[in-house]
Parts: sequence; C-alpha cells; structure tokens
Amino acid sequence: MAARPHDPAARSRLIGTLTALVVLWPLFQAAEVRPGALFDPANLKVIGNFLGGFLPPETGREFLGYLGTATLETLAIATAGMALAFCLAVPLGYLASGAARERPTLNPLTRGLLTILRGIPELVWALVFVRVFGLGPAAGVLALGLTYGGMLAKVYAEILESVDPAPAQALRRSGAGRPLAILYGLLPQASKELASYTVYRWECAIRASVVMGFVGAGGLGQLMDQAMKMLNGGEAASILLTFMMLVLAADALSGLLRKGLDTPPAPRATPFGWRSALLALALPLAILASFRGLNIDFTALFSTDAARSIGEFLGGFFPPDLSAEWLRKVGKGLWETLAISIVGTLLAAVAGLLLALPRPHAPFGVLLNALRSVPELVWATITALAVGLGPFAGALALALHTTGVLGRLYAEALDNTPPTPARALKLAGAPAGLPFLYGTLPAALPQLIAYTLYRWEMNIRMAAILGFVGAGGLGQLLYFELSLFHYAQASTVIAAMLLLSIAVDQASAWLRRRLG
Amino acid sequence: MSLSALRRLALKGALACALAASLSFTAHAQENVLRVSAIPDEAPTELQRKFAPLGKYLEAQTGMKVVFVPVTDYAAVVEALATKKIDLAWLGGFTFVQAKIRTNGTAIPIVQREEDAKFTSKFITADPAIKSLNDLKGKTFAFGAPSSTSGSLMPRYFLLQAGINPEKDFKNVAFSGAHDATVAFVAAGKADAGVLNASVWEKLVEAKKVDTDKVRVFATTPPYFDYNWTVRGDLDPALVKKLTDAFLKLDPKNPEQAEIMQLQRASKFIPTKKENYESIEKAAQAAGLLK
Repeated sequence: MAARPHDPAARSRLIGTLTALVVLWPLFQAAEVRPGALFDPANLKVIGNFLGGFLPPETGREFLGYLGTATLETLAIATAGMALAFCLAVPLGYLASGAARERPTLNPLTRGLLTILRGIPELVWALVFVRVFGLGPAAGVLALGLTYGGMLAKVYAEILESVDPAPAQALRRSGAGRPLAILYGLLPQASKELASYTVYRWECAIRASVVMGFVGAGGLGQLMDQAMKMLNGGEAASILLTFMMLVLAADALSGLLRKGLDTPPAPRATPFGWRSALLALALPLAILASFRGLNIDFTALFSTDAARSIGEFLGGFFPPDLSAEWLRKVGKGLWETLAISIVGTLLAAVAGLLLALPRPHAPFGVLLNALRSVPELVWATITALAVGLGPFAGALALALHTTGVLGRLYAEALDNTPPTPARALKLAGAPAGLPFLYGTLPAALPQLIAYTLYRWEMNIRMAAILGFVGAGGLGQLLYFELSLFHYAQASTVIAAMLLLSIAVDQASAWLRRRLG
Repeated sequence: MSLSALRRLALKGALACALAASLSFTAHAQENVLRVSAIPDEAPTELQRKFAPLGKYLEAQTGMKVVFVPVTDYAAVVEALATKKIDLAWLGGFTFVQAKIRTNGTAIPIVQREEDAKFTSKFITADPAIKSLNDLKGKTFAFGAPSSTSGSLMPRYFLLQAGINPEKDFKNVAFSGAHDATVAFVAAGKADAGVLNASVWEKLVEAKKVDTDKVRVFATTPPYFDYNWTVRGDLDPALVKKLTDAFLKLDPKNPEQAEIMQLQRASKFIPTKKENYESIEKAAQAAGLLK
C-alpha cells in the first residue's frame, strides 16, 4: 500500500479548532465583528480623506509652540510620576516581600493593596484624580504614581525573593535586623535587575502619560485627543511623529542606561566614575525640574478643606449601585469588554504570526514597529472611522497595536527555535508547510502562547478604557457616569474592571500552566 | 555603574522627590488673580482665542489679573468651581445645575446672553434616508459631551418625549465631547446623525466650515434656557457686582467691545437667576441624568 504523506494529527487539530470556534463564536458576536465594513467604499473614502489630511503635517508656529510645551509636559509627568511611584514602591515592596523574613509569610494586606493599585488602569485613576485636582497634569502624576507604585512594589518584592537568600539569612542569624539584611544581603545581588526594571518602567510611563492625556491629564495625549476629535489630520500627524520620536529617544536612553548596568565597574579605588556622578546629578535635577515645571499644588492634597472635598468625593463612591438593573448593564459592558480583548488579541496573534513568518524580517520589522508605536486609543479613533463606532472598532484597534508587539516577539521566538527538526522533515520530502507545522511550531508554541496570554492580560485593561473614545464596553459606561457625577454607578463599573482584570490574570496563568 | 553607586542613587532619588515635593508646597495660589474657565464645548484652542479680548476687558474692569484655565472635560469645570480652583466660569444650563448641587446651592449665575433665554439644538445628518426623529431608530448617533445641555441633556429629553430611548433605539451612542466634533463625526460618517447647539451650528455654517450640501439639519428642539456666566458663592460681593456690571454694560457700538460680543456670539448680556434653570433640572431628572 502506497503511504500517502498526510498529517497524522490533522483530525485532532481540526476538532480542536472547531471547538475553539464554537466557544469563541459568542465573543465574536459580542464584539460585533463585521469584516465587510472594512471594505465598504463609503468607509474607505472617509478614512482616505482623514489619512490624506495627515500630509503635510501641521507646522504652524502657534501649533508647534503648543506641541513643544505638551512634549515637555509629557516627559515631566512621566518622570514625576515615576519618582512618586518609586517613593511608594520602596516601603510597599519591603512590606509585601517575603525576602529576609524569618518565616516566609506573605503580607496579605499589602499584597491586596498592591493588587488594587495595579488592577485599576492608570487611565481610570487619572479620570478620578482629574475630578479631585481639576485640571492639568497633577492628576496624571498621581495616577502614574499609584499604578506604577503598585507594579514596581510587586516586582521589587518578587526580585528580592528570587535572589539567593543565603547571605541575608546569615546576616539575620548573626543578629542583623531585616532592613540591614536586605540592604547588605540581598540588594547587592538584586540591584542590577531592580534598576533595570525601574528604567524600563520609566519608558512605559512615557507611553502611559500620553494615553492619560486623553482624559484631560495634560501633555501630548490631550493635544492628540483634540486633534483626533476634530479629525484634524495635519495636527494628528505632527503629534504622532513627535510621540514616536519621544518613544524612540526614551527607548535609546533606557537601552543605554541598561547597557551601562551590564558593564562591570572599572577596577578603581573608588567605584564612582564620571558617568555615575553625572547620573547622580542629572536624576535629582530631572525630578526637581519635573515637579517645578508641572507646578503641582500639593497643598490641594493636604489642606483640611481639600481633605474634606476629597473625602466627600470618595464617599460618593460608597455604597456602589448594586441594583439589578444597573448590574445587568454593567454585566453587558463586562461581556463586551471581554469580547473586545479576546477578539483583539486573537486577531493580533494570527496577523502577528503571519508577519513573523517571512524571512528576512526587515521589511516587516518596520511595519511592526509602526503598528506598535501608535497607542491603542489613537488606533481606535482611526478604526472607528473605518468600521463605525462600537466594539469592533475597539477590537481592531487592540489588534493593530498588539500585532506590532506580538509580531516582534513571535519573530524572536521563531528565530530562537532549533532549525534541525524542520530541516530534517524537509529533506525527508515533506510537502510545503508541514516542516513548519511539525518541525518548528511544536518547539516554539509554548513560548508563543505565553507571549499571547501575557498580552491578553494587558489588553483586558486596555479594552476596559477604549470605551472612552466610543468603542463600547465598560469604559464608555464609566466615562458617562463620571461625567454626570453618578459616583455610585461609576464605583460599580470600577469594581467590575478590577474583577475582570483579576479574573483574566488568573485565567491566563491557568492556561499558561496547562498549555505551557 | 557600581552596585554601591546604585544604592546611593536610590537614596538620592528618594531624597530628591521629598525635596521636590516640599518645594512645590511654596507654590501657592496668588492673590488678586481672577481665574476663569469655560466648559470645553468647542475645541480648547478655539475657546482660548474667543476668551482673549474678554479677558483683557475684565482685567481693565476689575483691576485684577485674569487667567484663563483651559479644560478638556465638562465635569472638571464643575468640580473646579466647587473646590474653588476657579472663580468665574462659562457654564451650560445643565452644568450650572450640577454646579449648584455640588456647591450646595451657593454658585451664583450672574449674566447670560439674550440668546440663551431661548436656546435650541439642531439634529443633523448626512444620510439622505433620515428625515425625521423617527428615522433615527437603529442608527448610530453622536451626542456632544455627556453633561452638555444642548448637545446631550435637552436633545435626550426631547427624544424621550418623542418616544425614542437613546439606550434602546439607537444602534450605538457616541459622545463626541464637543459640538464642533459632533459635526466632524457626522460629516465623516463616523455617526449617522448627531445633535449640537444651534449657535455653534450657525457659526460653522457662516464660517463655511461645514458642507451644507452634505450635512443638513432635519429637526430642531423647542427652546430652553442655556449658557450663563457663574461665580462661586463665596467670592467678594463687590467683585461679583463689578463682574456683573462689566458684562451688562458691554456695548456693541464700541468697536472693541463689539469684537468681544461677536466672539461670544452675544447680541447683548442680560441678568439671570437660579430660577431660570429649574426646568432644566426637571428635564435632567426626567431624562435620568440627575439622580
């Protein structure tokens, strides 16, 4: 009998795919996926007109003035926010970490606080603080400080737990207190990783501070929001270009700093070189300049009058509105948000894989970088023109940005997969496609899945806020209710966001364990 | 970089934020400054352009430095008035009601334009199939900001009276955030129809910023009270009087003042009172926007 080469796992894979489709179908329904709308000539014309307006970018003197101020403001918000986050993260990380404790107990109270700080997207904090501080960048700084404080603290705690505990234990047994044991037993091992992560986060903070401008927290985002709302292509193009340059510059600077951490110190009597001195000088100056430049009135936080108004404001959030009617509405928003995040991530996984496959990567690398450097909220304003307002626009926006991120990660993962199995299959005469499916994919799959699930965790937070620009889901509900001072209702929505992001984190961790 | 340098750096960083924080305490609000803001019902750059001559006029009339605080969010103006971060604000009818409630009834409306006593909203579309409010069912619809009087509350109230429930009958509801943005949404086909205030619509038509062959008005609301200038309740009564008089004596015959009035789109400013806005409060309750 002639053995026809066929796919031995075809049946089980087919069944798996079909099951997945059946499970995902309601989600695609909820996200209102209508690929046809993408090719509707009327919509294409609208988009064409808008994107056509991108050229030439706006270069009016008055506008460039606004742009310059906004860019500085964005940098200052990111830097001041990180400084605040750092001040918050050090004590919280110390409390939350199990490192250098006599018995490795985890502090549930601090851990819970950190989950809340991290689980609520910074955009939501910003929206809330915009109400307390009114106008301008103070809201952005505080929002960044809280969310990033939570993130930093968690990662600091975990880094301290992950290094060799022996030196700290030895110190403790010889009578040193916990702070000293951490300072001299753990920090020398962990400091490089700690600093590297902090610098990486600062880079993220710049992106985040742009996004927060969309809710009125100042900076480039605020300018972008206005340009996008007015569909002013020329201004949007200038702002987008500035933003990309800013992100590239931050990328480069952070890369430089991290590289500096990797070089071992020169064999000198004093470990300080001119670079350390320069950095030690520049850092406080930058932070100082940021706070001064933003002119944040912290008395607003500490005067008794302000304390009362903040108290009243926060009091308004309790108790949350738990009436059946409102819960039904929030439930619908929750489902829509979940659908947006899953559909967006899946579309991105497929597109990212397709873009990661061809070699050489170079031409697609440029495309991936461009996709990645445009924030989701900006994509959403464009996709809303392409397919009309609604969840599908949100899912597409997520997909576009995430394709850029995943494509790059996938390409790296595939490059790092051993090529031998695929080559062996090819030499044995397997038809086209099969060497990849059976030689390369199985080895790379766990990594690909892990990356995808990790992005899904980020996307659920993003999906929750895409509603601010009309993409439906929880974000739109929150924006509406906060605008009308319906704090009891807003509080339910925020709680729902928190629950959703915790649930997705758990689901993703479970899936990673099962599939990884 | 060496490890101990890093540790020092961390300490210095912490010190620097503490220092920076304590320094910013000294940045107190200056006396003798009148802080003015406006609900961002149009693009913020447009609002600043509109305000510049009025600000100069108010400076001359009160002898105080007048600072315009731009905002991108309606609710932020209300909150800023309630937390005394601004002294004088250009509010919509509904934002005034919100401000009145948030300041426990102390915010005082001082003047309004003559036009504001009989204000209307225009429903616009670029879809030839939409001829009346009833044709809106199943379409996407753009309001202005959620707390806009003429871009959200009153249209919603009149839609409900016409038997259309925006939450159930529209396919999708969007909030463009500002009146001129609503026109951009509808002109670009981002939404099938939208609603905005009559004054901004007329301005855009006059300035030829909208293609009236494409975008047209298909319905207009009955008249209601809208915009006013409001001061916070604990402002010095003498200053309140000065401000009120300054607005009331604006004279279109004086060329400089005519420019101010033209930018504010006012033929004349007239005194106003809280009672004028009671019907808006009732409409807001009926439309479920006030709880």
